[in-house]
Amino acid sequence: MRFHFSARLVCAALALPLIAACSDNDENGGTTGPTTTRTYQQIERLGNPLVSEVFFMKRDHGLHNNTAPATDVANGFGDKIKTFTNSFNRGPTIANTLVAVLVPDMLMVFPNRAGNTAGWLSWALANGYGGRRLNDDVVDAGLTAIFGNLLDPAAAVLPGLTSDNISTTTRTYGTTFPYLEAAR
Amino acid sequence: MTASSLTKRPLRAAFFAVLAVATIVAGSRLAASDHQDTPEVELNPRMDINDVYAFPGASADRIAFAVTTSSPIAGTAASFDPNLLYQIKIDNTGDAVEDLVFQITFDNGTGTAQKYTVRGPVAPSMTGTRTMLLTTGPVITGNVGTTTGAAPGTQVFTGPRADPFVIDLEQFFNIIPDRRPSIGPLSGPSTPTATAFRNPGIDFLRPFNALSIVIELPKSQVLAATDAGAKFGVWGTISR
Repeated sequence: MRFHFSARLVCAALALPLIAACSDNDENGGTTGPTTTRTYQQIERLGNPLVSEVFFMKRDHGLHNNTAPATDVANGFGDKIKTFTNSFNRGPTIANTLVAVLVPDMLMVFPNRAGNTAGWLSWALANGYGGRRLNDDVVDAGLTAIFGNLLDPAAAVLPGLTSDNISTTTRTYGTTFPYLEAAR
Repeated sequence: MTASSLTKRPLRAAFFAVLAVATIVAGSRLAASDHQDTPEVELNPRMDINDVYAFPGASADRIAFAVTTSSPIAGTAASFDPNLLYQIKIDNTGDAVEDLVFQITFDNGTGTAQKYTVRGPVAPSMTGTRTMLLTTGPVITGNVGTTTGAAPGTQVFTGPRADPFVIDLEQFFNIIPDRRPSIGPLSGPSTPTATAFRNPGIDFLRPFNALSIVIELPKSQVLAATDAGAKFGVWGTISR
């Protein structure tokens, strides 16, 4: 493995007056990239699949992107999810279960559980590893959770909404690093 | 240091990139489980995280993270944006605040001459939506399109890979049109034109690639606890 000690990191570690001499300013358009002396501002975030895309009104996507999980509860993400499920009359059991597993919006992983139990939301549904595998059909999982009776056996199943009718078998995922298929 | 030190994106280059994508891409410009979800991200596809994955690595003591961005990209020649900071954030104390971060940045090179730098996993100096680059901890560099490192250490790959996500995106927008993008072939009527998914679905994303980051390392480096109930939360961010 190649570790190297970046010159910029050395400069950042030195006394303050030296930072100006060492920093790369990429505003002049021709330098080598980031500098350790500037502050970056988040513009995009993703934890669980589909949270922002499915549940949030488009006008709220910016709110999701410009905030961090620590404020998801205070920012009413649970209410946004409930608004969506209520618009389809899915009932409180489905709404509350979705809110419990998706807010704050972080992909949860239990890495000491058996690896063959990995899969999106398996930690919530089956005491599994959780995480998200490349070949998880998260669209069908999400649709089934919202529009099926997976989370509430008493809920009605809405036909035509529990699957988008394409599976991940249309892809080939690798078994060795880096796991993703070569570019087409 | 002032706020003006934030890099100004060369507007002409960004516009040209949008034109290039628009002419190349016959299908949707939207992708993945979180696509071009605000107007700014629509116009700057490299600011778009598509999906975040976490799954067991090559052995039981390892874990892999993958972040796909920028899809849809046609062809294999796309380069990462050197003005952006990509992060994978981990909360392993259960308070929804990151305890460790990976920071991934790229230089001004293109294609396989572009170099990546991966820092971490290390506790960040700032938490939340403002970040500075780490100045401690491991640093790994390599060329885009190549893997650096191997077990039992940290292994990194960045580069274009086939988009792994599958969804009938067109039909999803026909059912829930509020989520449509504002431009492109999947922009369209704001009233629903369908109440159910079609069978079979149509897989828009199949021909396209995503600029991807894959990191695998010992899981003990993200979570030291060894009991079965030990957990962490992970999310990806892009900052500029």
